[in-house]
Amino acid sequence: MAHAVISCLHANLAAVEAVLDDIDRQGIDTISCLGDLVGYGPQPNEVVDLIRHRQIATCQGCWDEDIIDGLNACECSYPSQLAERRGHLAHHWTADRITEENRSFLASLPMSFRKDQLLFVHGSPNSQHEYLLPDMNAFAALERVDTAGAETLFCGHTHQPYVRELTGGSIQVKVQRNNKEEFEEQEQRLPVRRIVNAGSVGEPRHGNTKATYVIHDDQSGVVTIREVEYDVAKTCQAILDVGLPEVFAWRLSHGFEYAERAEDASHVCER
Amino acid sequence: MSKICLISGPPGCGKTTWILNAMRNHKGACGYFRLPGLPEEGIEVTKDNSIDLTWLIDQLPQLRHLSDPNLKLTSQPNDLLALIEMSQCHLPKELGLNGLDQRIKAQLKKLNLHPDRILHFGADSELPAHDTLKFNQLETLTFHLRDSVWDPNSLSSFWFELVNGAYGDVYRAKALMNLPDGRAYFCNWMMTQEGSQFLPLQYVAPPTGRPKRGSALVVQGKALDAVGMQTTIDDCVLSDEVLEMQQAPLRNQQPVHSQFN
Repeated sequence: MAHAVISCLHANLAAVEAVLDDIDRQGIDTISCLGDLVGYGPQPNEVVDLIRHRQIATCQGCWDEDIIDGLNACECSYPSQLAERRGHLAHHWTADRITEENRSFLASLPMSFRKDQLLFVHGSPNSQHEYLLPDMNAFAALERVDTAGAETLFCGHTHQPYVRELTGGSIQVKVQRNNKEEFEEQEQRLPVRRIVNAGSVGEPRHGNTKATYVIHDDQSGVVTIREVEYDVAKTCQAILDVGLPEVFAWRLSHGFEYAERAEDASHVCER
Repeated sequence: MSKICLISGPPGCGKTTWILNAMRNHKGACGYFRLPGLPEEGIEVTKDNSIDLTWLIDQLPQLRHLSDPNLKLTSQPNDLLALIEMSQCHLPKELGLNGLDQRIKAQLKKLNLHPDRILHFGADSELPAHDTLKFNQLETLTFHLRDSVWDPNSLSSFWFELVNGAYGDVYRAKALMNLPDGRAYFCNWMMTQEGSQFLPLQYVAPPTGRPKRGSALVVQGKALDAVGMQTTIDDCVLSDEVLEMQQAPLRNQQPVHSQFN
């Protein structure tokens, strides 16, 4: 059966509606969401309302966490002072407008959820703030999936959709038994693991302005990355109407993220 | 005998670069002055000249500034090459000395500068012909950034947004920007050219606070968003506390620096 995975909605209602329409048109009625419902975009309550109304299984993203707990990430999360200032502005704007009901909903979201051997997280099984980039060291990537006990890990956070197969993995250990000097070598071959990044619905960063998500067929294992056109101008106008910085609209209309990824993307904020 | 030449042309045509190269190739002493130019219909005059002057003095530390009241051209070495730069979007009706506007002549007379030659980009074959745009309308914004020190990654983001149209239709942008480690960059972009120039100044200031040198940003184009640019600039430059935090570890690493001329 095919199911859809969406991520990083970022309060962009037009993009979310377009993606849900695309999913509906294909007759898919199981949808998973990997968080970041809010942040930067102009319609945080509308987007959370829609996800709640559709009863879409959702885990918590880093932006959702920050709206509940207050700014919690260290400055390392931002690549520059400019990005940090803009991030803080967007955070305070969102925190001032999110309803108590929606704040409670975001607080109720789990860090991850499972469906059999499929694991759904925002960043990585370790943290909502960790980026699993497509070129991440293969051993580290395999470690993230295998230690979480998953065959396929669905994540978002990078805003770049990809599918990565981790094959040929093995663990070698040397065992020294009691009272014996020699070591016994053991090797365990690991089955194929997979990381599927759903990209971003509301803040694409893959070279154009189209919203992205993925469809996974759990019978065949086939993953399809979908790109969906939406009314970008409508969201840009909404950004201006609510008084968010014009440069947010400019960046969205050109397919640029509001704030670039931190230089050391593997860094995990420990606060 | 001294040679005095007036170089004119539209913004971004390469006047300063040509002057720098000419001076580098000249064996003797060199002098420079930048005339503000005359108002032209629909064209705002660039008021700030600290960027070009600071850049040229950094590259040619012995450069003489021709507005210096103590500088008497008559007592200068015979091999002095004196180049006067002037922004002028439209070609004069008559080329050469005879076509020089009376108001420009008056400005030059006040400075006791009497050019032997006038070269205009787009008209004289001695100058490169490419990258000369014809402007009918041009807004100019000047941001005075003396004492400002930029967060390097923020500068990169701002410049990217600026030259890609986030703050209006920018035709030309040039700047001198200070970084916390004491380096400074001459940043230069023109819409007809691919990519920006980021040229480091030779002089690196000691990491002991804000460097005392000219720093400014000049943006030319249409429908420019001055408020948006200023807001972003304010978010990019470092406070005293952050600057000190970044410079303190550098003070034990860096060699002693020469004084900025």
